[in-house]
Amino acid sequence: MVAALAAMPAFAQEGLKPAVNEDRKLPPDLAPAEVPLRRPGDSKPVEFFPPAADPKQVPGPLPATPRESVPLPDRWRIMQALGFKFPLVDPYNQNILKGDIPIGDDPWLKEKFPLLAKVFQDEWFSNVGIISDSLAEFRRLPTPVAPQTSIRAQSDDLFGQGKQYTLSQTVIVSLALIKGNTTFRPPDYEFRFVPAFNVNYSHVEENRALRVDPREGISRTDNHVGVQEWFADMHLRNVSDRFDFDSLRVGIQPFISDFRGFVFQDVPVGIRLFGTRDNNQWQYNLGLFRRLEKDTNSGLNDLNTIPRRDYVIVGNLFRQDFPMPGFTSQGTVITNINREGHTRDFYNSNGLLERPAVFGDVRGHDYNVTYLGYSGDGHLGRWNLSTSLYAAIGHDERNPMSGKPADIRAGFAAAELSRDFSWVRVRLNALFQSGDKDPFDGKSTGFDAILENPQFAGADTSFFIRQGVPLVGGGGVALSGRNGVLASLRSSKDQGQSNFVNPGLMLLGVGADADLKPELRVIGNVSYLRFQDTTILGVLRNQLPPNRELGWDVSAAVQYRPFMTQNVILNASAAALIPGKGLKQLYDEDNRGPQYSILVNLLLTY
Amino acid sequence: MSPWSRVLRIEPACRWGLTLLFAAWLAGCSGSSGNPGSTACASGCVTPSSILTQDDIRRVIAQAVGEAQARNAKATIAVVDRVGNVLAVYQMTGARDKFDISSGRHVGFAGGLDGLADTLPSTLAAIAKAVTGAYLSSEGNAFSTRTASQIVQENFNPGESQQPSGPLYGVQFSQLSCSDVIRNSDMHGSVGPKRSPLGLSADPGGLPLYKSGTVVGGIGVIADGVYGLDLDISDIDQDLDELIAVAGTSGFAAPTDIRGDRITADGRTFRYVDSESLKSDPTKAAALASLPGALVAVAGYTPASVSAGTAFGTPASGIRKDTGVFASIGGYVLVDAANNNRFPPRDATEGPLRASDVQTILTEGYKIAIRARGQIRRPLGSFAEVSLSVVDTNGDLLGFVRTPDAPVFGIDVAVQKGRSVLFFSHPLGGSELLAVPPAIYLAEAPPGRTVTSSIGDYVGAMRTFLGDPKALTGNIAWAARGIGNIHRPTFPDGIADTPAGPLSKSFDTWSPFNVGLQLDLVYNQLVKAAAAGDTTEGCSGRASLLAPAGTPDGGIRRLRNGLQIFAGGVPIYRNGVLAGAVGISGDGIDQDDMIAFLGLANAARILNNGIANAPAAMRDDNLAPMGTRLRYVQCPQAPFNDSSEQNVCAGI
Repeated sequence: MVAALAAMPAFAQEGLKPAVNEDRKLPPDLAPAEVPLRRPGDSKPVEFFPPAADPKQVPGPLPATPRESVPLPDRWRIMQALGFKFPLVDPYNQNILKGDIPIGDDPWLKEKFPLLAKVFQDEWFSNVGIISDSLAEFRRLPTPVAPQTSIRAQSDDLFGQGKQYTLSQTVIVSLALIKGNTTFRPPDYEFRFVPAFNVNYSHVEENRALRVDPREGISRTDNHVGVQEWFADMHLRNVSDRFDFDSLRVGIQPFISDFRGFVFQDVPVGIRLFGTRDNNQWQYNLGLFRRLEKDTNSGLNDLNTIPRRDYVIVGNLFRQDFPMPGFTSQGTVITNINREGHTRDFYNSNGLLERPAVFGDVRGHDYNVTYLGYSGDGHLGRWNLSTSLYAAIGHDERNPMSGKPADIRAGFAAAELSRDFSWVRVRLNALFQSGDKDPFDGKSTGFDAILENPQFAGADTSFFIRQGVPLVGGGGVALSGRNGVLASLRSSKDQGQSNFVNPGLMLLGVGADADLKPELRVIGNVSYLRFQDTTILGVLRNQLPPNRELGWDVSAAVQYRPFMTQNVILNASAAALIPGKGLKQLYDEDNRGPQYSILVNLLLTY
Repeated sequence: MSPWSRVLRIEPACRWGLTLLFAAWLAGCSGSSGNPGSTACASGCVTPSSILTQDDIRRVIAQAVGEAQARNAKATIAVVDRVGNVLAVYQMTGARDKFDISSGRHVGFAGGLDGLADTLPSTLAAIAKAVTGAYLSSEGNAFSTRTASQIVQENFNPGESQQPSGPLYGVQFSQLSCSDVIRNSDMHGSVGPKRSPLGLSADPGGLPLYKSGTVVGGIGVIADGVYGLDLDISDIDQDLDELIAVAGTSGFAAPTDIRGDRITADGRTFRYVDSESLKSDPTKAAALASLPGALVAVAGYTPASVSAGTAFGTPASGIRKDTGVFASIGGYVLVDAANNNRFPPRDATEGPLRASDVQTILTEGYKIAIRARGQIRRPLGSFAEVSLSVVDTNGDLLGFVRTPDAPVFGIDVAVQKGRSVLFFSHPLGGSELLAVPPAIYLAEAPPGRTVTSSIGDYVGAMRTFLGDPKALTGNIAWAARGIGNIHRPTFPDGIADTPAGPLSKSFDTWSPFNVGLQLDLVYNQLVKAAAAGDTTEGCSGRASLLAPAGTPDGGIRRLRNGLQIFAGGVPIYRNGVLAGAVGISGDGIDQDDMIAFLGLANAARILNNGIANAPAAMRDDNLAPMGTRLRYVQCPQAPFNDSSEQNVCAGI
């Protein structure tokens, strides 16, 4: 021990440096005695007996005398006072842009903007984040030839050439101001503003696949500035000594309905009351949201357009360690009130009709639907389970297919069961979306979400979830939306109304995540897809309802994190939909090879 | 079936999914699902007794009159049979004698028939609407004049921005009195298909009549005095004519399952009727004799009495099963009053086609049709029912065959399509258009000043548009789809704020009653028949009623039943030289195209005598005026019921 101490650097010569080995803590200089430790609340005291002092240890520091103390602006700047300086671009060490140092006491701010410094003098922190998301996507989708003009002569069939690619660059800037104090106490106020800047370019092989006017050709460049978050968060009160709290958040804010985003994951504008109870064992959310219009080609919020007449009322409750330790249960009630049935027809920025959808009589309709859900996430022994069950109950003012009012009675279930074997996690996935049996009756039994964003069965690395496949010639209605798993026949996931007259889906799959190296993960998924009832597909195509077998979705992905952090992530994935009988009856699968999706994505985070 | 399955009423096919009861509930497995594919009539329900009796007709009229009375309206009502025989026309006391044609797009007279006010008798409007209801419908589909309105406008759906035109754009100018295919005078007895005085109607208030699932006729009503169309289909109209017609169909209504509103095109259902909210109870309709009004005679159509209808498919209807060369494939043919096939395959009077060629082309087309997925029929999985025709280079109809239940309108339209592609691909097309007299519109604007529309001007416009002074001299093989591309009020089709195609009226004067070359070609003779009772054959390029003496009146033989401008026809070439044309009509336009194009390709393989589709290098899809390529044909997705083949027309 003495030898080890002797080997330590001489601080006086090299300046102050952090401890070489933080693990080698010195025991406190206390007499052996019972030390009563007590957490707030009515818990039992923890008994702690300090070990006997090593007589050979170096004596502890002497109490500081006033003349030895250095004046410090605040306790977060101790390190700076000791001579540590880190550049602003370094997010890993103390950084005023990363919420490590309060801004009000910043000497530069005090000198240049004294009034601002005064406003922010008490425990205000800033947190700035920048994410760059670069995407290159290559795919083959069934693509109709434009009805009024084709690119090539002798385009004599409905299906044309289907190879497409998209390049997209998004920069998301997150600006937050937080008033708070310690790690344990939630912040008192938070203001956050998150603009996102997107440029995208797409290229296809047929006219009218990108924009409704065939003269605009086979490529498209578009850009958009969206506001993804813009809220104020107020900590209303603490309700226990353990900082259980109630908080209110107003503005554009992210919300996710369940662990996997099956029913509603969005950044709507709204008011949300949330908090915890019983030492964070209970968590709750009560929210009222209005959905914002989305930009068609970037998927970002579009604040230039009037918010949608679509409202979401949410109440949910989480219970940790229920029904067993390590498992969290959530009960949810979400009501979606859509009042877009009597507004003007809404066309997306590519000129295609979104609302009402090109489906049935294409007349507008309002609907109300309530989702009753249970979700669970956690582990049962060595098994991990994540599951969601939903029942959708509601009323559609007029189903555009039957032309009659319809009751909505639909259900959804999904589960992912997984187990870790050393560095490999093996997953089993199952998903059921109820389908509609009779499009012309007064009952809609196909399940649809409000705005899904499923993190399930490979998510966007799988074909079926990633790609939207147009169902009918004009492309107005997709078999399933882009970045969605439900076969919901909406005009689009982002801008369309929900549709409860759909074929439903069953997905059964296996997958594995293999952490080959700390910086390299390989993911594979194979899913079998099957419709529940294809009557509506037959009606929309006016053909014999196709076979229920959709096909096999086979995908592989690699995730490479060269620095073993989340700051630089390179994702690449390839997926193909090997067609089943049903798909072959719908598309020209045998003529041009399977539909596929290849993604390369670079994420840089500051 | 296990006891539990019985209790739960679970279909065997679903049982395997019962690993979780919840999953089964989600999977929607239940034993008591409705069958949306079922119809009142499986197929072939027509029998010799499927007719409208005189009592039926009186009841239909009385029911309609009852609703008109309840609405304080004065209606003119016509009832026809499936082949267009006018069985009765009834006019309520005080009903308006004449009617106004108005698309609602323009104020007053804008050209063509649009704005022709208070000129033609209301009885003709009622007959045209009744004929339309009957002619567009079949055992597999019930369409109304409201359906017609939806599919003849500049966008489909009407009002949906930037969408191409309706699939049957132009069908309104068919079944004309001057057609040689259509029967137009008393001397033909009950043999149809009969003419419609104004072509097909898009004015709501014309509906088919059914008995035991089969079409037995149609009812047409005009009470509001306006013969128009529905420009805004997003609302739900309470249309006076339509409500009266709906009352009339009580007891003879189309089976729910085959109405247009259960049939889709591109995911869109068709409109059938908007409202059935009657103010009267048709089942309690009074006897016709007691009602305020009278049966009226309409010259050339019906005496002032009620006649029973003919049974469709019997020689009396003019359409019967073939006993000749098409008997083996089950084809139906057109017959005359003496029950002779009017158009058995024969040698061309002009050009190289022989009877055996015609027979093979029609047979191969027929074989495609009965495999093809019907686009406008239910139950799902029905085949495409169409009329097939072959014409020679003179436009003479060399052969005709139809599937048993094809809608009647397709008989005339199939021949129109064949002749249209022939004419456009013919070396003399341009010069013949340049030689015919102009259309002289009956309406005057301003009053006292007649408006004419030169046919020859379209030739110049087309040549300028294509940048080809030799256009219409036989250098291009035109398919009906390609002709349609340049005969729309916008180019490209459906795209707003673009110039009109060279054969169309400009968008500011355009309407379905003023389309351009198609109407102008037949305008003079259409009006001569409707206003003056002229029933001579030959529709295109005739002299006007108002023309000075000595105006040539020979017309254009190759277009003798009028020009048609929607897809479903291709020219026939032999060793690269124009030999004739195939025209198909009756189902979806992609189906019509496929039956023409693929049928001809298959026939070419069998004949192996040089007869084939046009050489690829001559087809109109080599043209790209203003950078927008024209189309030649488009074959449908999922073309066949009996296989999952796709893209079956590639490489032909």
